[in-house]
Amino acid sequence: MSTTRHLLNRQRRRQAVGSQPVPAARASGDTGTEEAPGSASRPPAGSPRAPASPRTRTRTRTRTRAGEAEGARKAAGSKRNEPPERDEGAGAAGTRRGGGKHLAPLLILCALTVVLGAFAGFAQSRAAALRDDPVRGNTALTDLARTSEIKGQAAKAVASLFSYDHAKPAAFESASKTSLTGKAVTQHRALFGDVLAQAGKQKTVITTTVTDSAVERIDGDRARVLIYADQSSVGTAGTEKQTPQDQGVYAGAMLALDLVARDGRWLVEGIDTFGR
Amino acid sequence: MKLAVRALAGTRPILAAALALTLVAGGFAAWTGLGWYEASHDESAAYAVQRDRALAAAEQAVQNLNTLDHTKVDQGLDLWESSTTGDLHNQLVQGRSEFADQVKAAKTVTTARVLSGAVTELDDRAGRARVLVALRITVKAADDKSSEKDSRMLGELTRTGTHWKLSALGQAPVGGTASG
Repeated sequence: MSTTRHLLNRQRRRQAVGSQPVPAARASGDTGTEEAPGSASRPPAGSPRAPASPRTRTRTRTRTRAGEAEGARKAAGSKRNEPPERDEGAGAAGTRRGGGKHLAPLLILCALTVVLGAFAGFAQSRAAALRDDPVRGNTALTDLARTSEIKGQAAKAVASLFSYDHAKPAAFESASKTSLTGKAVTQHRALFGDVLAQAGKQKTVITTTVTDSAVERIDGDRARVLIYADQSSVGTAGTEKQTPQDQGVYAGAMLALDLVARDGRWLVEGIDTFGR
Repeated sequence: MKLAVRALAGTRPILAAALALTLVAGGFAAWTGLGWYEASHDESAAYAVQRDRALAAAEQAVQNLNTLDHTKVDQGLDLWESSTTGDLHNQLVQGRSEFADQVKAAKTVTTARVLSGAVTELDDRAGRARVLVALRITVKAADDKSSEKDSRMLGELTRTGTHWKLSALGQAPVGGTASG
């Protein structure tokens, strides 16, 4: 039990210096614990040099009598008493000198904190600069799953948007309703205006097949795809006169689509036919 | 470390606080440092850099190979050769003199503009890439009449050292089977 050992030590110290107050004990905050039991319950006949065992008993009694607050204070006091006992000889002076002794580590710690903090800030800014690099922002090919998903949906959209069968115009209409958005709606209508005007008369059949495609850019929910497509258009109108247009035209087309992701689907937002 | 903190806590609260601050700063430094390291060693970022380099090289090379001025044939053909490698390069070198004569005789000036380009495949390790380059070629004949035509180019690139060079170039076939 540490309290007993500490008391014994104090007794020994007191015997050594006589009845004078012990400077070491007072400086280290021992006074409080010494006075409390003294004033409250020291036996009348007992001298300061009383043997250890009765004092210990007295102390215990005091604690129970004075209540919990007193006990807590003593517990704190006894803990605090431990270090001074270990360096009995050093005394109060040594503890006071410690202020100067601890200044150097304090400065080193401060300097370290500043250096580490500065490095953290620098590293953070470098990492942010790297992450915000537009090269990295474009996930075309780096995100293979998304790239092929976009390619697939773009090819399907082109096939349905640029194919027309006069016998089944509903398919064309529904494709333009479901896979177009924004300015692509008017672009698509402009591209097919002439065809639609003549379609009924010429019985036009246009078939578009994507032959090559590549994703130029994926930036979050936006993407741009370059597409090469084969387009065959045939006018299947009556047999009485065969104009050159009715022979059927087979042509290669190139276009770029701007896509935007909406509810998991990629919609065509812009059609770039490169000014043709 | 914990013991040291406890011992200091009793005697020097300021020192303990400073130590705690230092530890916090150290933690931050380690965390951000790791983030920096990861960001700079990101494989997909390196891949993205290769993709963009390959595309830039492809667009430039395709444009070079579709640009030729009959008054500066040698200069133009030197550029063709420096933009290519492999089989394509060999073909150009072999057919050079014959081709130069043809262009000089026809007195044409051909210029090209890249409309759009994109990488379809990129093998970072093997140093191979395939690209699509949409091109608009303008040919100015001897009588100053110029004609424009669009070209759908399919190119193959090979990395030589740190540079990407064209190793094959052709037009996308029309009416053929889909090549992917």
